[in-house]
Amino acid sequence: MRLSTFTLACSAMLFAGSAYAQQTTLTIGMASADAGRLDPHVATTTPDKGLLHYMFNGLVRIAPGQASPEYIEPDIAESWTSSEDGLTWTFSLRDDVACHGDWGMLSADDVVFSLERAANPDTSAFASDFRAVESVEATAENEVTIILSEPVPSLLGLLVPYHGGNIVCQAAVEAMGDQFEREPVGTGPWQFAEYQPQQFVRLVANENYFRGAPQIKEIMLRYIPSDSSRDLAFQAGEIDMLYGRQDQTWLDRISELPDTTVVAMRPGEMSQLMLNMTMPPLDDVRVRRAVAHAVNREAMVEFKGPDVTLPAVSPVPEGYLGYTDDVPQYEYSPERARELLAEAGFPDGVTLNAIHTTLPGMLATIEAVQAQLRESGITLDIDLVEHATFHAQIREDLSQVTHYSAARFPVADTYLTLFNHSDSAPGKPTASTNFSHCDVADQEIVAARIEPDQARQLELWAEAQRKIMDAVCVVPIYQNMQLWAWTDSLDLGHEVVGSLNLSPAITEKSRFTQ
Amino acid sequence: MGSFVLKRLGFAVITLFCVLTIVFFIVRILPGDPALVILGDQASQAAIESLRTRLGLDQPLYIQYVEFMAGVFTGDWGQSMVSGRPVIAEILNVLPATIELTVAALILGAAVGIPLGVWSAIRRNSVPDYAIRLASLLGLSFPAFVSAILLLLAFAITLRWFPVMSTGRGETFGARLNDLALPAINLGLIMAAYITRVSRSAMLEVLGQDYVRTAKAKGLAFGTIIWRHCLRNTMIPVVTVVGLYLGILIGNSVLTEIVFNRPGLGRLIVGALNQRDYTMLQGMMVIYTLIVVVVNLLTDLTYGLIDPRIKYK
Repeated sequence: MRLSTFTLACSAMLFAGSAYAQQTTLTIGMASADAGRLDPHVATTTPDKGLLHYMFNGLVRIAPGQASPEYIEPDIAESWTSSEDGLTWTFSLRDDVACHGDWGMLSADDVVFSLERAANPDTSAFASDFRAVESVEATAENEVTIILSEPVPSLLGLLVPYHGGNIVCQAAVEAMGDQFEREPVGTGPWQFAEYQPQQFVRLVANENYFRGAPQIKEIMLRYIPSDSSRDLAFQAGEIDMLYGRQDQTWLDRISELPDTTVVAMRPGEMSQLMLNMTMPPLDDVRVRRAVAHAVNREAMVEFKGPDVTLPAVSPVPEGYLGYTDDVPQYEYSPERARELLAEAGFPDGVTLNAIHTTLPGMLATIEAVQAQLRESGITLDIDLVEHATFHAQIREDLSQVTHYSAARFPVADTYLTLFNHSDSAPGKPTASTNFSHCDVADQEIVAARIEPDQARQLELWAEAQRKIMDAVCVVPIYQNMQLWAWTDSLDLGHEVVGSLNLSPAITEKSRFTQ
Repeated sequence: MGSFVLKRLGFAVITLFCVLTIVFFIVRILPGDPALVILGDQASQAAIESLRTRLGLDQPLYIQYVEFMAGVFTGDWGQSMVSGRPVIAEILNVLPATIELTVAALILGAAVGIPLGVWSAIRRNSVPDYAIRLASLLGLSFPAFVSAILLLLAFAITLRWFPVMSTGRGETFGARLNDLALPAINLGLIMAAYITRVSRSAMLEVLGQDYVRTAKAKGLAFGTIIWRHCLRNTMIPVVTVVGLYLGILIGNSVLTEIVFNRPGLGRLIVGALNQRDYTMLQGMMVIYTLIVVVVNLLTDLTYGLIDPRIKYK
């Protein structure tokens, strides 16, 4: 009897001990120096988007661990329907979604307010995404109807909690004013608790989260801009998860640490050379084709690391909805490149200029490309400027070759519109990032955007990609995957293939096993 | 002395005015649009224009300048263009961590550098002198970020004595010291290298003075000569160098702050520069100018304490 009591007491103590030791705080090492504006309709940096993803919901979401729109599932909306002409979308909302803190239950009016706010350029950086939205109305207590001026088959993609799709609580936004971007209020599994400049943002569990209280009770996002320090902090056990440097050596080194999971996530950032078609000699397609033949993609993938990069052949990154590799391809051939240059009237080669950022990862790539181009008689003069200057000068059309690296919402339309539609060229009122001034596929891009038949839409996107590669508006080089590592004791609760927000999804089911 | 201080403060206001005017125009000459940096490359032109209007960047330059100057002298330094938080609050939030680190590095640098410099001078051209000179040369030429990583590998990863992340916000005195140790050593050793070299050359000069020879002839103990007659006279150039270097140190601590993940003015100004945060840059310049002016004033006043022959007029 005494022995069993003793055993019971010991078991209870052990249980209590293990319960006490259960880790419930997740510390994440972020690569930026500090948090920016934390208003989800304004925040554009990768670290801020990751943070906000833990705090906000959309009408729909992409399943945790995935990045492709084919995994869209309900979030705040339980179900939805669209009219036959695709112009009217009706969403039925959950009735158990609470705003963080004391801001009450989320209503259809909050959703209307959020989407109107996202479509307003005075309050949103993503207003242009919503140009086809004619009106948003609360048509019943838990129902919202969106009226479009033209069909947008990928509308659901705009309504995921990413950029303008994040749903905010109207009362909080109106009452807090500018303070909202410092202490944002959402409906997600974690809510804002504390911010220390240059140090951390602390989130705490939203115990009223509609999918259930999160098992991780606190998330500390620590801002550690030095790659080496972030790695050392992880090695010392001071952080549980970290953003990795996008190269093979980092992956190899971190993979060797005990009890560590390393993941290369999609969507990748596609690195591409944008050739300014309005500037001689790049106004001659033979010169652009020569550049395409002069770039050795396999060597670049080998250079950056085969486990962290994928070769790129199309102006749309692989894995994006609408991607095709059935496009004109330009095998590596310095001989063919020289022939094309000679045909174009440049038997002695050409000299091109590239204004380029000093960001180390991108710099290593352009220097390798520069060496490859030299073998084909193409001299690339690189004018190095710091990052903000780079962005300013390429928008002034000062660069013949623009090396750009970006990940976008993984639908072909996004990449094609931003990088290859003439409306996005510098100098236009709707200018964005079409630094090559490409205009050869405008018709297909616009037609695909409003095409209700999915098979036809895919064909239009494929045709656009073929035309762009035939004209060589851009020379795709490779895709760089997002690298993350975390301790094995962290069970995210889902398989991680990718993440739209470029940070691994952490959900209410994520937990520590120790 | 009162009129001296007042006069120096008057000059400080003029200096501040000139520095701020130069900074105001230089940051606006730099290519790079704050609205584009804030909203990112996916933002529409309409959103960028809207933000430029809200930030007041669409106003003529002279109006921005007048508003800025009026703000500086009325204590309204505006809000950070990037974070939206008040500039003064952001600066005051990290200023204590910078002062803490700088003072600790200064104390460590002086505690190591002065004795080594004096010893090196006394034992001129001996093995210890060569060793100290070599060590101080290494200290000056070794990049701060490399020494920081080596310190982390040795004391945070291998020995686990100190944390990798120095938050600068420990709740107890012990915790703060623990946080401060590695960054202070990293910065302090560089300072020690400077002070060692200056102390050595100043001491060598003093040792050749007539009054030292006289003291020796009188039969004073060597320790007394060094301690009572040489050291104090050595301190004037040391204080000058420390004063000059302290201002630079506050700005140059950025690498140490980044590697040890410590908050501070250095990190703040680099971030503001990269993001074209005009208001933050301007606020930082006000603070830096004030720091340099105050440190120079304190240096001048310290001369009088060290050498009573110095009079302030």
